[in-house]
Amino acid sequence: MALIEIKNFKKSFQGHDVHKDINLSIFSGECLGIIGGSGVGKSVLLKSLIGLIKPDDGQVLFKNQDITKLNEDELVEVRKKIAYVFQNGALFDSLSVYENLAYPLKEHTMMTEQDIYQKIYKTLDEFGVLNAINKYPAELSGGMQKRVGLARSIIMDPEVILYDEPTAGLDPYNTKIIQETIIKLKNKNVTSIFVTHDMPSAFAVCDRIAFLNQGVVAAVSDVKEITNNNDNEISAFAKGLRP
Amino acid sequence: MNYFTMTYPFLIFLGGSTKLLYLSIKEFFKGKVEKDLVIEQVYQVGIKSLPVVLVTTGFIGMVMALQFGIGLAKFGGKLYIPKIISLSIVRELGPVFASIMISARVGSGMTSEIGSMRVTEQIDAIRALGASPIAKIVLPRVLGCFIALPVLTAFANTIGILGGLLVGSNDLGLDPNYYFQKVLSTINVADYMSGFMKCFFFSFLVSVPACYFGLNVKGGTKGVGIATTKTVVTSCIAILIGDYFLTKLFWVIEKWL
Repeated sequence: MALIEIKNFKKSFQGHDVHKDINLSIFSGECLGIIGGSGVGKSVLLKSLIGLIKPDDGQVLFKNQDITKLNEDELVEVRKKIAYVFQNGALFDSLSVYENLAYPLKEHTMMTEQDIYQKIYKTLDEFGVLNAINKYPAELSGGMQKRVGLARSIIMDPEVILYDEPTAGLDPYNTKIIQETIIKLKNKNVTSIFVTHDMPSAFAVCDRIAFLNQGVVAAVSDVKEITNNNDNEISAFAKGLRP
Repeated sequence: MNYFTMTYPFLIFLGGSTKLLYLSIKEFFKGKVEKDLVIEQVYQVGIKSLPVVLVTTGFIGMVMALQFGIGLAKFGGKLYIPKIISLSIVRELGPVFASIMISARVGSGMTSEIGSMRVTEQIDAIRALGASPIAKIVLPRVLGCFIALPVLTAFANTIGILGGLLVGSNDLGLDPNYYFQKVLSTINVADYMSGFMKCFFFSFLVSVPACYFGLNVKGGTKGVGIATTKTVVTSCIAILIGDYFLTKLFWVIEKWL
C-alpha cells in the first residue's frame, strides 16, 4: 500500500494550469525522483505534500489521511514526520548553525540542552560540517548551506524526506556527499521524494522516476527504464539530450 | 480604472491584516509568546529608536516655540506658549510623531526583514519545521511595538516640552520656572491619557501592516522594496486617520466623564 498518494491533483496560478490532473503513489522506503522541464510545477507538487501549498482540487493522502483538508495546527503532526529540504537550504540567517538545528528540537521535543547539543554535534559531524557549528549561514559556502539545511531537515528523524533540487549548483564533491546521504537515509528505510534536474544524481539515488509534463505525470517507471521510454521527449530528457 | 479596481487591493489588505491581528491575538492567548523574541523586538523598537524619536520631537517642540513666539508676540500672547506647546505635544504631536518615526524606522525594517525571509523561503521553512510564523515572526513584533511605543511616547512628550523650554527661555525670554509651572498647571491626567492611550492603537497600525506586507512579498527583491514603501505609506496614513477618530472618541469620553 502506498505511503503517500496524490489523487486528481490540480493547481493553477493566475489562470495558468500548472497541474491539470496529477496521480502518483509513493511507497514506503523507496526513493522516487520527480523530473521535468523548468516551470512544470515540481516544487509546487513537493510543497503540496507537506501542506505548504494547497491544491485547487484533489487529494494528498499521507497514511490515508488527506492533508489538504488539515489546518496549520493539524499539519504540525504531519510536518514532524515529513521533512522538506529546500533548494537553497532556507537556513534562518539570524540564527547560527547550532541554533538552526536546535530549532525543531526545541519546538517539538522536551530534550535537555545537553542532549540537543550532543545530537546536533553528531549530526553535523556526519555531514562533515562540524566546523560550522557556531557560524552564521552567510559565512557558509553554498554547498555547506545545503548540507546544514539537510542536517536540519533530518534531525527530527522523519519518515519521509522531500528534496527540492538538493544538488543544484553544487560541485561534484558536494553532490557526491548529498547523494551518499540520501542513499544512507534510504537504507534506514526513510522514504524519499527527490525533485531534480540532475539526472546522474537521480540515477544514483532513485528507485523510480516520474516525469511531469503539461500538468500531468507523463510517465512513471523504474529508474533503469526511463531512458528507454517510448516517448522521445521523456527518454531524451532522461539522457540529457534535445528531443 | 473603476472604483472596484481602486478599492479591491485596499479591501484585500484590510481583510488580510485583520486576519493577521486576529491570528496573533489567538497565538497570544494560546500562550505561544516567546519571551526572548519579544525582548529582542522591544530592544529594536524601543532602545534603538529612542535617538530618532527624541531628536524629532525635541525639534518639533523647538520649532513650535519659535513659530508661536513670533506669532503671539504681536498680540502680547507669548505667555501662552507653555500652555500651547505642552497641550499640543502631549495630546497630539508626541504620540503621532513617535508613531510615524517608528513606522519609518522600524516598520520598514520589519517588512524588509520578513520580506527577505519570504523570498529566501525561510517563512516556508518555519512552517515546514512545524512551527508557526505568526508565533515566531508576527507576535513578537506586535508585542514589541505594543510595549515600546508608549514608553517612547512618554520620552517624546518630555523632550518635546523641554525643546519648547529651550527656545522659550533662550530666544523668547520666558522664565524657565514660569514655563514649568504653566506646563504642570495646564496638563491634567485626561490630557496626558488621551494622547498616551492612542499609542497602544498606533502600535498595531505600525506592526500589523509591516508584518502583513512582509509576509505577502511577491516578485523577489524588487517586491521587498515595493512592500517596504507600502508599509511606510499605509502606516503613516493609518496613524493620521486613526488619530482623528481616536481624538474624537477620547473627546466624547472626556465630555461624558
